[in-house]
Parts: sequence; structure tokens; C-alpha cells
Amino acid sequence: MVPKFKPSPLRIRSFCTKTVQQNPHHWPIKQITKTNFNESLSEIKNHISSSDFIAVSLQNTGSFSSPWHRVSTFDTPETAYLKAKFAAERFQILQFAICPFKLQASKVIAYPYNFHLFPRDELKMGMPSYSFTCQTSYLTAMAKEGFDFNTCIYDGISYLSEAQESTVKVRMGNPMAVDHATKSSSSPALSVADTVFIERVRSRVKHWKNACTDSDIKTEALVTSLRKIVLGGEQFGSRPSMTIDVCSERQVQLVLKMLEDFSDVLVPLIIPAKGGGTQAVRAVLTSSDEDKDLLKRELQTFEFEQNKRVRGFREVIDLISASQKPLVAHNSLNDFTFIHSKFLAPLPPNMNEFICSLRLAFPQVIDVNYLLKDIGPVKKMTNISATIAYLKNRFFAPIEMEIPNQANENEGKIHGHNVVKICQLFGKLCSILKITPDAIESSDDFLASAINRYANIFYSLPGSSQEPTNEEIRGWTNDKRKVSCEDVVFLWGFRERISAGILKNMLQGSHEVFAEAFNVRMVDRSCAIVVFGKPGLSNTFKNVMNSKAVSGPLREMVSDGLKAAGYETYQRVCSSGLWESALADALDKTLASHNCLSEAAYETKQSEIYLSNELINLAEL
Amino acid sequence: MKKRWPITILYRAFSSSTTSTTASFPLKHVKKSNFDSALSSLRHHIQAADFVAIDLEMTGITSAPWRDSFEFDRFDVRYLKVKDSAEKFAVIQFGVSPFRWDPLKQSFITHPHNFFIFQRQELPLDGAAYEFLCQTTSMDFLAKYQFDFNACIHEGVSYLSREQEDKALKHVNSTYKDESLDSWHSLKEIRDTHLFNIPDILFAERMKDRLSEWLGGLLRNRDEGSEVQPSFNDSKQQFETIFFKMRPAISLNGFTSHQLRLIQLVVRKHFKDLAYLRVSGENSCSQNVIVYIESESVKKMLMKEVKDEQKIDAEMSIKASIGFRHVIDLLSSEKKLIVGHNCFLDIAHIYSKFFGPLPLTAEEFISSVNKYFPHIIDTKILLNSNSILQQRMKKSSTSLSKAFSVLCPQIALGSKSTHLSLQPSVKVEVEVDDIRSSNWNSGVKHEAGYDAFMTGCVFAQACSHLGIDFKQQSSSENLAHNEKLREHVNLLYLSWTNGEIINLSTGNRTSESLASNKRKNHYPKILFECIVIVWGFPSHLKAWDIRECISKVYGPTSVISVYHVDETAVFVQFSRAEMVSKFLDLKESLDRNNDPISVLHPLAKLLEGGNTCAASYETYKEICSSTVSKVLFADQAKAVGIKWKTKLVESSDKTKEHESLRKVKAVNSDPSCGERTKNKNFDDVSNDSSYSQLSSDEIIDSFYTREAKQI
Repeated sequence: MVPKFKPSPLRIRSFCTKTVQQNPHHWPIKQITKTNFNESLSEIKNHISSSDFIAVSLQNTGSFSSPWHRVSTFDTPETAYLKAKFAAERFQILQFAICPFKLQASKVIAYPYNFHLFPRDELKMGMPSYSFTCQTSYLTAMAKEGFDFNTCIYDGISYLSEAQESTVKVRMGNPMAVDHATKSSSSPALSVADTVFIERVRSRVKHWKNACTDSDIKTEALVTSLRKIVLGGEQFGSRPSMTIDVCSERQVQLVLKMLEDFSDVLVPLIIPAKGGGTQAVRAVLTSSDEDKDLLKRELQTFEFEQNKRVRGFREVIDLISASQKPLVAHNSLNDFTFIHSKFLAPLPPNMNEFICSLRLAFPQVIDVNYLLKDIGPVKKMTNISATIAYLKNRFFAPIEMEIPNQANENEGKIHGHNVVKICQLFGKLCSILKITPDAIESSDDFLASAINRYANIFYSLPGSSQEPTNEEIRGWTNDKRKVSCEDVVFLWGFRERISAGILKNMLQGSHEVFAEAFNVRMVDRSCAIVVFGKPGLSNTFKNVMNSKAVSGPLREMVSDGLKAAGYETYQRVCSSGLWESALADALDKTLASHNCLSEAAYETKQSEIYLSNELINLAEL
Repeated sequence: MKKRWPITILYRAFSSSTTSTTASFPLKHVKKSNFDSALSSLRHHIQAADFVAIDLEMTGITSAPWRDSFEFDRFDVRYLKVKDSAEKFAVIQFGVSPFRWDPLKQSFITHPHNFFIFQRQELPLDGAAYEFLCQTTSMDFLAKYQFDFNACIHEGVSYLSREQEDKALKHVNSTYKDESLDSWHSLKEIRDTHLFNIPDILFAERMKDRLSEWLGGLLRNRDEGSEVQPSFNDSKQQFETIFFKMRPAISLNGFTSHQLRLIQLVVRKHFKDLAYLRVSGENSCSQNVIVYIESESVKKMLMKEVKDEQKIDAEMSIKASIGFRHVIDLLSSEKKLIVGHNCFLDIAHIYSKFFGPLPLTAEEFISSVNKYFPHIIDTKILLNSNSILQQRMKKSSTSLSKAFSVLCPQIALGSKSTHLSLQPSVKVEVEVDDIRSSNWNSGVKHEAGYDAFMTGCVFAQACSHLGIDFKQQSSSENLAHNEKLREHVNLLYLSWTNGEIINLSTGNRTSESLASNKRKNHYPKILFECIVIVWGFPSHLKAWDIRECISKVYGPTSVISVYHVDETAVFVQFSRAEMVSKFLDLKESLDRNNDPISVLHPLAKLLEGGNTCAASYETYKEICSSTVSKVLFADQAKAVGIKWKTKLVESSDKTKEHESLRKVKAVNSDPSCGERTKNKNFDDVSNDSSYSQLSSDEIIDSFYTREAKQI
């Protein structure tokens, strides 16, 4: 547990605390599985409520299946969201690391937890997910890190999303206590039919109640039980109860209103129908006020226990959401589409709705990548460790990591380091950007404004690429200009394994629109994008491609199968969900299906994309 | 079908309780580390074998509930469902158990192998990433049987299909064939870049100086005939003088890729007698060297030499990635009799994983399979179609473990109880790593190696019941040609659910004869031209409501059955084919006219909400052929891109109508038949969506996914 490097005399003071851990491999991160989940919950709850921020980090079974599915610099927020949505709906979260932390001067006090998840169908209802996709390369990489798949699958914690939980509740048909919201809805004007209905039910209830209470007096047991059968009495637990069938929500209200007259001894319960709505109202007879309270408490505990069992890991998400603490993430668009789709509800069809819906649960999400932007250009931002190293070289902002957690001993492998690195990076960035913890503590308003500046911006433009960067891409990413979607044309139908340089050469002499400055970049093997420097040229080019007048070398290329389409076709590809493995195929299919539909249906809303690592502030949209 | 599971469970519970304390079944587990040695010994065993039993474990069976196997699957739809399953899910365990008759011991010798397989992306192929689907219930099921996922993912044997291998080889050929596309091409691009900034220019100058210094020293030394001075190697070891192909060279270490590019540029620009090469080093990491060359021709020779070497390396690594496919190639080339249990899906998996993409139609698939594996026997068909064996099975379930325990009790319980069995039983001995044993404990069910072993034992015993005398059988004669087996060879269940059997050698389809059929629910013969699929209707409508709704329009006998595909879609089978187009026409016009008359129409209940869609059976097939798999059928239809609400069909010609009329009359002879069917379906659906919370149902459901394939 001793740090590998020797501290210099100057820095030695910062190592006075024993718990300080600088070597990531020694960070004690508590590993949580099904076995120790329940016992850890209260501890986690305390840490969450006493923290300033909560860092989150996910380990998924994959991200993108084809090169063009990756969010890239030519994506608008909308297409970026659609790509993230596609991934979030198919892949699965296997590890969810959270780390509530406090910032104190140059110290980060962190309580990291790493949850192992597996979407087990505990209720046999095809939930939380019927199936999920795994990418081999992701699993292999996890295996290399020593990930234990058996623990994950045998012992992972299951969960249900909020939306799934409400469906499940209805399907299980558990009686629900009437809360005041449903009860006190405006008393309706009574029609004759209503009055008849109420009176009939009232007399039934009265008879049944009398029959039950009569049993104290010595009537014959047989008569009592017969009477009970005739009057439709049943048992609810140890108490007698009676079911009143209803046909509409209005009748539910009427019955509840009527039962208020008996509120001294009767407790009304609502029995939900399987297809939604209400099937019946059940009145439970209690013997006294104490007994009534007891019943209500019993119902509450029953519901609480059952919900807990059903929710599983979502309990933690609910705790985070209830705390309303700011969340810190790295690559937040990706992580929060996953979180939304697995733990809240199915992802909405567009970015705006997503942001609105997400905000209801998590009011503040801070992406460290966005903080980084204020510092200056950092090229490779997908790798947290590299970013930390980069900052270390450029700024003097020592951050001390204090992790008071006791990791479970005899734990073979410790996973979830990323979440602690995010805390560390965030601490560094705060110190560099002078979002000092003192300021945070002195005034809540200041904190709010300082954090609000950075919150809810879903960084959607990862700058690095896994291929060896060739000159075109470098030239491209260094380019800081914004490019209007209008000036972008997608080209495909050329021979495979062509390079952007060769394609550019071929285009240069083919038509006069290419006399002006333009740029070419490969999206994947099958498709390239061309960016025209001068506005209007893209339309000229598209028109030329579609007219018979096409001539010269360009005609040759068109005859060989070259095709072109504007940015709106690409947007349509993303929104229609044609995620073919080659972009060219997807574009072809979209064009084919679009020919029979009206043109006007689609408009280019976000008309600007960014060619550099610029950011798009979605809060402003 | 479902009702038989508890029996299976009981058996399983019984067998495990008797043997849980003792050592495991002798099984050869094969992983990455011991694959090569296991393969070479397996080669001999397979060559000597009379037949080879196989079994596969997958990560799932159906990618969506509506893709499950139904009675309403026409054979082409059934194939599409199997194809979808084989394409989406991964095989993670492969059991191979070659059986050989040992005339001396008068028993079979088998070598059960249990391969963990996991396809890794080992070659730098472009395009889509390898991915596969996991069905959560299947994973959970495997976990219940203690499947070792770590062994699979960490140490599983990888493989390449024949198609992937061809593609990779082609890729290598084109890379190394085309001169212009190689390194020259990338150099050309470098020339385009200019040195932008001062640091780059200074660095390039420094490199130029150092290279000319080295070159100068080299030439001087050569003239003087002395050794290359070692002093050149600087402290950082960035420039290390080495010999590359018997030529003096510099190995570049510790430069960034940007610096390397600059060096490359300097070499191109200023040194005619130096060549910059990137070669693969010893531990597969690439090494950058600058080689001294005398002339352009020498340079070309050197380049060619290097390129040829690289090509060979690349080809070698492709060959090395074939991995587990060697086993499949062996089975195919040896033309051995392959024995599986309800193995149509298994065969489809083998095809898609180790040969190439599955053909679009069942016919093409069958003929290709027959080419690769000329003799396949399915023990499940064997047990169901032969009356002697049916008798032996005592009308019990033909699930693998059940068949094993009924037919081979002496093997199931180890040889301890051999004397207990009165029937003539085939003796089987297991040999693993040259250790023979005839005494063992029951293995873990749903471990591919043990399942393959059980399948083989069932087959051997079945052969003996059929009167095949292994003592008489000469070793040279192929068991598949035995006249007692001939009628069973190459028959596979296309679908166990409706008993449709396909003959791989002829492509003929037959339905299982009713006499031998033990299944309880006989459906009226399904006429696919009488079927309409309806989806997107209000969710509270159940089969009964829909039937009632349509009956109000066309009369009480118009609907034969309504079958839930899932909660969002139903098949409606009409009594006559022409009603399909009538119904679709009516629905279309009701959708179009939103007047009071259409609102009051009896069908309006079905169309409520405005999302109800309807089409003929052909559309169902179309939707099944899509690669997309949404959980709900209504969502799937949307995802496939269906934007219309009704797809009309042209009314079929009269002769066809007459024919179907006649058929329908025969079917309708039992008027209550349709009714019963409907009720059963209705119950089924409520079971499937698990409204009930009975614990027995939970057990049943948990077995559902895996067992479906074997029952």
C-alpha cells in the first residue's frame, strides 16, 4: 500500500494522512454484489447525503458496432443523441461505479462503490431486459482487466426502471392503500344512476359490516358464515374484508366517498386491474383505531419490502436522484442515455425531451470534458488517465485523494477505478479553474452559479479516434471552424479502401464546384463526407449529381456508382434507425424508402455542426 | 410441452442428489491453452470413430418473444426464425464425443470433449465489430448449471469461419499485391505535408545531421574495412545500429509517431541510399528501421523481400486464427455420421459460425448442409418415429436427459447398477487422456460435453434396439449406410412444435405421422392462406374479444382460431381463404371513413386507438426476415418500416379457393375443435406473460428457454 514513487521533501507534508492513496491500484473501492447489497445501502445513503458531488462511471458490454455509429465531429446534437440512444438500447451495464465525494481545499474525500449488475428476470416478465448485445472486444478487454464474469452473472444485482416498476405493480395486482391525492379529487355532481349505485353498495357494506360485527353476539356460527358468503365477505390477512366491483374510475371515486362514512372501522384498498385501471375496491374491517393504524403500517411495510425487492439496484439511483446532488461524469451523453434507458424509462425520440426528462431526475450533470474545454485544447479526451497526466504536466494543482472506505478484504480484483479518477480529475479541474471549495462552502448561491455554468452540457464530440490518425483527420480536428450542415455532402459508391486523399484528388478535377476549397473525410470504408468552403456549392453539386447534364470525369464516377446526398438524408438515417453496418447501405436504404414519402416532413433543425472539439450547449437549445 | 418439464426437473434433482458428493464425470475440457494438443488427439479419435455425437450451448434461443416457435410457423418462417437465432446468438460451448466400437471389449469407447469457445476479433479486419446477443433467461439458466463464463471469455478457443478466412486472405493479397497501395502510397501523402512549425523544422534538421553522420561513418568504415563504431549508439538508445537482412541499419526506438513521420520525410527527401521500413518485430510490435542500400534495384529487392515476409506473417496469423473450426473441418472432411438431439438449430449455428452466412431460404441451406455433412441423425426423431423405440421409451418425454435415463439407466447411474437392468444394454466406456473408465458419476447436464456424451449413448442404445449388431458391423462400413438406419438418416425436426420434418438429402418435408405422435394438442390443419395477422390493437383486447368482434361481422363459424403471437399481435385463422381479403378490404375502408357508421361498426372495437394494422401471412414472413428484433411485435413492425395500416391482397383465383374450401370442410367436421384451440391459446398467453405467480410456473419458465430446444 506504499506509493511507488518517493515523495520529494516539499510534498511530503501532503502525505501525512495514512488513508491517502495515490496509486490507483491500491484505491479501496467497495465491490457490491447481490450478497452485500442490502447491508451496504444505508452506508451508501449516508455518504450520498453528506457529499458535495457524486461521480458516476459505467462499464458496458459495448458502445458502437460500426465505425460510423460512433458519435463524431460531424454529428449534430440530435444525431449524436440518436447514436447514443441506439447503443444504450442494445448494450448492457455490467458495472456501475458511483463515488460520492467532498472537495476540501486540495483534498478529495471519496467513497467509491462499484456495483456489479446483471439484468436478471426475477419476476419472469421479460424485465428488465429480454436480451442484450455484447461486443467481443469489450468482453475481451474486461477479461484482460481480470473481470469476473461469473460473479457478474451469478451474483450481479438486478433492477427495474421506474417505468417498468409501475407496469409490474399493475401486473402483480397488489392492493394499494388509497392516498389522499386519489381520494380528495373534486366531488362530482351525482346523477340518478350514481345515487342508485352508491345506495346499493352502501347497503351491502352495511349488512356485511353488521354481519361481521354481529359475530360477537351469539348467533349460530353456521348462519354467520352463510351470511358472509351471501354478502361476499372474504379475509384480508386476518381481517374480514369485502370486495366491491367497479366498472369505471368514476365509480371508484363514488365508492371511496361513500366509504368515508365508515372510516372509523373500514380501510379502503384499491385493487388494480391487470390491463391498468382499477378492478375493484376492497374494504377491510378493522376492530379499532389502533388496529386500523396497524393495518396501514402493515400495508406500508409490505409495499416497501416488495418495492425494494423489485427495484434492486435502482434503489441507489433513487437515492442519488433524491439527493439532488450534482453528478460528475466523463462522456456524459453516453453514460446518461444508458442510465435513462435502464433506470428511468425508455429513451424519448429526441434530444430535447431526453434532457427534460433527465433533468427531472438529475438536475445537474457536469461533464469533466466540458470543464477541460475551459483550460484549453486537449487532444485525447477519451482517456481519463491521459488527461490527468496532461494536466499534471501543465498545471501545478496537486490533489490529494482520501478514501476512508474499507474495501472488502480478500477481494481478488478491484474494479471501478475510473470513478475515482473522475473525482481526481474533477478536483484538479476545480482547483485550476478556481472553483475553489472555499467558495463552494461560503455561499450556496455561488456554488450554484459556478456549477450551473458547467452543468447539463452533454459533451457530444469525443475528439480522438482509434485508428492511427492520418493527415486528413488531423487537419480536420485541428480545424476550429463551424460548418453549416448545408455545406456538407455525403458521398458513397466508390471502390472500397480508397483514401480521403485519393478521393479528393479524383474530385478535384471532376467538376468546377471542386475548384474552390473543399475538404474530404472518410466516415467509414464505404462513405465519405465532403465539406464545401463556399456556401451554396453543395446544392450546385447535388443538383449536378441528379441532373442529366453531369459530364466529364464526374459522369465517369457517377456511372461507376458514385452517389451523393445532403445532411438531411444522414439525419433521416439516424432517426429512422437504419443502423446498417456500412453507412453507404444505410443511405441507400433511406433514399429508397424516402422516395415514396413526402419531402417536406423533415427539416434541418440544428443546422450547424462543429469541426473541432467545440461544444454544444444543449441547455441553450 | 410445458407439462413435461417438472418430470425432467424431478429426474435432475434425483440424479444430482445421489451423486453430488463424489468426483465428476470424466470429461476433457478444452480451452485455448490445451487446444492444439487436444485437437491432434481428437483427430485420431474422430478418424477411428463410428459416429460422433455433438451438442452446443448458446447464449440464447429467441431474440424476441414473438420469434419463438409456434404452431403457426410455416416451414419458411420456421427457417427464418432459426436463421435469426443462429445469426444473433453466440455458441459458447461445443461438445464433441466420438464413439468407436471396440470389438475386443465388446463395448463402445468414447472420448467426450468439452470445448469452451469464444470468438475474438484477432485479425485487423475492418467493418463491423464482432458482437452477439445474450438472452437474459438463458444466461441465468446457464448460471444455474454453474456454467463457467470466465473460462469461456478468458480462455475460450477462438475461430474463423471459412468465409471470414477467405475474406482475410483476400485482404492480405490485395494489400501486398498492389505496389502503389503499399507504403509508397502513404509516403506520397507525407510529401504533401509541409513542415509547419519551428520545432518540427529544427527536429528534422537534427535528424538529417545525425543520419548523414551515421551514413558518413558507415561509408568510411566500409572503406577502411573496420567495424561499425559503437559510439554512435547514443545514451538514449534511440538510434541503435543493427543488421537488417545482412545490411547495416538503424533501429528507431522511443520516438513519437509524429517524430517518426518527420524522420521518414527526411529519409525520403535527403537520402537516396537509405530506405525507411516498418517491419514487424519479434513480439508482434512493429519496428521502424532505416536501412542502408546501394542502389534502387537493391532497394526494390529489399522491399519485395520484406513485403513477402510480411505477407507470409499475415497469412500465418490468419491460419492461426482458424482455431476451433479445425474440429468442424475434421467432422466435415471425415464424413462421419453426426448425431445430435433435436439439432436443427445446432446445425444452423455450425453453418453460420464456421462456414458462412446462412442462405436466405431453407432449401439452399439444406442442400449446402448436405454437402458439408452428408450423414446426420437426430436422436429425437429416431425415438419418436420408430415404434420399437417408442415402446422402449414407454411413452415418456423424448427430452435428452429423460431419454438417457430411460434407455441407458446403467450408464446414467454408472456401471454400479449394470446388473439391475434386464434389457440388453450397450456398454460404453469413457476414455479421457488415455485413462479409461467404466465407472463414473453423473455429469453436469447442459454442459455441452456431457450432453454430447448422453446423445451418443442414447443413439448407441437405440441402434441396438433397432437390431443393429455392432459385433457384425465391420469397422470399414459406414454406420449411416446400415439399412436399419437408412430411413432415419438426414431427417431433422424443422420444428418440434408442429412436428414438421425435413429430409436433408432430398429436401422433402413431411409431417410426423399422427400415430406416432404423442403430443396432446392437435391443431386443426393450418391453412396459411386463411390467416391474417393483426397487431397494434388496444391492449385490453384478448383473443376471445377479437374472435367475438370478428364473428359479429362474418358469423360465428368464420373464425377458426385466434392465436396470440405476443401481447400486441394475433393470428386470426378464417374458415375460408377469401375472407382474408374481405376482412382486409373492410378494415381498410373503416380506417378510411371516419363517419358514424364506421364508428358503430362491430369491428370498430378492434380498430380503437387507430393503430391497429392487419396483413396477410406473407407480411409476417417479411417481418420475420428482418434482422431487427424488437421485444414487442408491434414495435418490430414499426422498426421494419411498415407505415401502412392494412395490406390488401389480390383475391386468389377460383380453383384455389375451391380447394381450400374442401380442406376446410374436413377440418371443420369437429366444430368444437376451433373453440378448444382458442381457449388453450388464451390460457397459454396468460401463462406466458406470467400473470400468475405460482412457484411451479417459475420453475417451468426458467427451464423454458433451454429446454425448448431439447424437448
